Amino acid sequence: MNRTLARSLPVAAIGVAILLPMFMGDYPLQVARNIMLYMALAVTWDMLLRSGQISFGIAGLFGLGSYASILAVVRGGMPGWLSIPFAGLFAGLAAFLIGFLILRLRHTYFSIVTLALGEIFRIIIHNMHDFSGGPEGIVVQQGIIFGGASRNLYWLTLAGLAVALLASYWFEKSKVRFALTAIRNNEISAKSSGVNIFRWLLLAFVVTSAIQGMMGGIFVMSYGFASPETVFSADFTLLPLAMALLGGIHSTVGPILGGLLLGLVSEWLKLQIPYGHLVVYGVMIVVVILFMPQGLLGLARKTMRAAGRNRK
Amino acid sequence: MTKLKTIGLSRRFLGLVAVNKVSFSMDEGEILGIIGPNGAGKTTFINLISGIIMPGEGKIEYKGQDITYMPAHERARLGIARTYQLIHPLENLSLIENVMVGSIFARGHSMREARRRAADLCGELGLKDLDRDTSKLTILEVKKMEIARALANEPEVLFLDEVMAGLNADETKDLIATVQRIARERKLAVGVVEHVMGVIRELTHRVIVLEAGELIAEGPYEEVSKNPRVVEAYLGGAA
Amino acid sequence: MALKRRNLIISVFALAATAALLLWRPTVLIYGLQAAGLYAAIAIPMGLVLGIVHIVNLAHGEFMMLASYATYFTCKALGMDPLIAIVPTAIVTAIFGWIIFQLTIRRALKAPELNQLILTFGIAIVFSQAINLVFTSQTYKMPLDYVSASMDIGELTFGIWSFVFVAAAILFAGGLNFFLKRTTTGKAALAVGQNPKGAAIVGIDVYRTYGLVFALAIALVGAMGALFLTKSAIFPTVGSPFTMKSFCLVAMAGVGNIPGILSASVLLGLTENFLRAFRGSREWADIVFFVLIIVVIMSRSLKGRKS
Repeated sequence: MNRTLARSLPVAAIGVAILLPMFMGDYPLQVARNIMLYMALAVTWDMLLRSGQISFGIAGLFGLGSYASILAVVRGGMPGWLSIPFAGLFAGLAAFLIGFLILRLRHTYFSIVTLALGEIFRIIIHNMHDFSGGPEGIVVQQGIIFGGASRNLYWLTLAGLAVALLASYWFEKSKVRFALTAIRNNEISAKSSGVNIFRWLLLAFVVTSAIQGMMGGIFVMSYGFASPETVFSADFTLLPLAMALLGGIHSTVGPILGGLLLGLVSEWLKLQIPYGHLVVYGVMIVVVILFMPQGLLGLARKTMRAAGRNRK
Repeated sequence: MTKLKTIGLSRRFLGLVAVNKVSFSMDEGEILGIIGPNGAGKTTFINLISGIIMPGEGKIEYKGQDITYMPAHERARLGIARTYQLIHPLENLSLIENVMVGSIFARGHSMREARRRAADLCGELGLKDLDRDTSKLTILEVKKMEIARALANEPEVLFLDEVMAGLNADETKDLIATVQRIARERKLAVGVVEHVMGVIRELTHRVIVLEAGELIAEGPYEEVSKNPRVVEAYLGGAA
Repeated sequence: MALKRRNLIISVFALAATAALLLWRPTVLIYGLQAAGLYAAIAIPMGLVLGIVHIVNLAHGEFMMLASYATYFTCKALGMDPLIAIVPTAIVTAIFGWIIFQLTIRRALKAPELNQLILTFGIAIVFSQAINLVFTSQTYKMPLDYVSASMDIGELTFGIWSFVFVAAAILFAGGLNFFLKRTTTGKAALAVGQNPKGAAIVGIDVYRTYGLVFALAIALVGAMGALFLTKSAIFPTVGSPFTMKSFCLVAMAGVGNIPGILSASVLLGLTENFLRAFRGSREWADIVFFVLIIVVIMSRSLKGRKS
């Protein structure tokens, strides 16, 4: 009974997610798109975290992908739909090259360097006026992808999220899980078990960066516009991080759960409080780290275990 | 047949000599004790051989191949395995999954094959209830899991760093018999670091003695334990 | 030993660059030093916390931002000069810092480093967004005459107010040196930083010391908040670049090396202002910092790996 429920729940969720646009207006669909975007970023942030590395560079790779996509369309004449996988490829390639340098770093050093890299990308884009449009940003003259049809944009973002979820599922079910868990626990003993630490970190970094870049591509193609302030916004680092922490790290379900909750709350707060609604995210991060480091998922597991014990 | 050999192996830390010109060799099927007072460089020596740290001078040969500067994970694949004094079971992984890691990465087995082999290994070591969370294991079980993890590499050379520490007399006896059986059946060359001399006497065919990073004596335990330099080293350490 | 040699190399390099600049573009040197003073004065307290409490405080710059806001509105209401507010601000922020430490950071001291990092990141967000919530993203600035004071040497005219930051940096470095080496509390703090377990055995209250050191660092940052207000406009995210810059300077200097922070700041201040001096490279001055961070952190970690 329980197992059937556990199996049918994801299927039902997928069905609802696909059919949602049939019953929704433009505004709720745009909200749903935002939430899915953040969910995908939250899941990818978590995927790298499973190796013990905290990235503060989500916004950097997201922004890099955004510009790769929009510049490919505007300057290179690439079709909009193609620019999205191109953005992923570009961000993945950048991560591959950067990874050779920065994946030797650990802990705070790694985190700070990822933050610094995001700033470097932003400044470069900001300063290359002639090519990137500079601080004022750049517009897709050809118009928004799918003529801006809400439903199609929704499905596009959903597809992006699906890629992130599939990758996360692969990380959970394959050797990758063993490699990343071993690295997170103790690198020295991981080496003694034959784990090539650098190779697996590089894989995780490249895959997550590529997806973050691809989501950037989806974002700019959906709005037809990019500027350094919008696509490199710290929100793209902050929100996913808070979502994953709230839901429960080291899992696929956690970031999705957290993303759904925080995403809905923040869309509502955004309307109520135009300035500073992000304070909720800060509070959430602090509270989660201090009082429930395993997130809602960990809390649920604990409760279930306690309930099971009582029954016995 | 010689499996492993070092020639003049040395390593300093901030000017202090941790391991100084140590030359030794290990043969197939041999259980070798590595003893010496605290701080003599025993663990550093194992770290050098397993590639966790790199030597300053000297040479390490494994089955005739020079592996002096080979990365640790490649040595694990070649067939050198070890346990750690401080054991960190991998959280979020069950007992059997902990053991699978070596099989997957050092041997390149598929997940299914790794699980099968890990189950066999655990059975061989007397570990049961393999899907347990590692936080629920007894000390003896943790030690056995650590040995199983090392054996999952399917090594030819195995180093055990104080695996008997913290066990009671019966458990120690049990584990000594287990190690001897495994070494015999697999024709392993085993290097054992232990502080309890009773264990060394029972378990090993031969010992080497390190003091302040230098190899000061070598031979069967009965013989070495009468060596005046060794006695001096231990008494000096105790005083 | 290695530490001394690196310091020597850095100071020789700084001296040579300084001499060359003095002859060629004196303003680069002057403004570079002023910027260095500001960076160093803010980074030194972070170095103190990292060296003794072993926490990377990603809310460091945000504490300064809060102090600036507090000073601004108090001074506005009372018609007071921010300079008079420096000491009261330092005291108030010290208490605030102590409370924040007890409520949050203290609880995470035993948690994995990653939790600490995310925790202080969260605190930074709470601070900056709370200010955003109350005061919106509007900028505030104190109109003060004396900050535009300038000086003429021959044909050269330059602003001198910002030298106050250099004075603050030197004062902080000297004061902390005195505190840690000469006073009982300071020596205890240093002992806790080097070996908390050992310090606990000889009867030092480790957590109390952590709280005190944290409060002291936040007091210094608070004082800088008041001082910063004299010169610059403030807005909710004004502090965050300083968090990153401070961390990088501390990383460049090496943990526990306060004089190193001074020389690293000089290097950074001069390089940035050097690039600002040219039309073509002006916009890229901001990038220097980040490139420098990465280069320094990389070279340090690689060196650490070899030894």
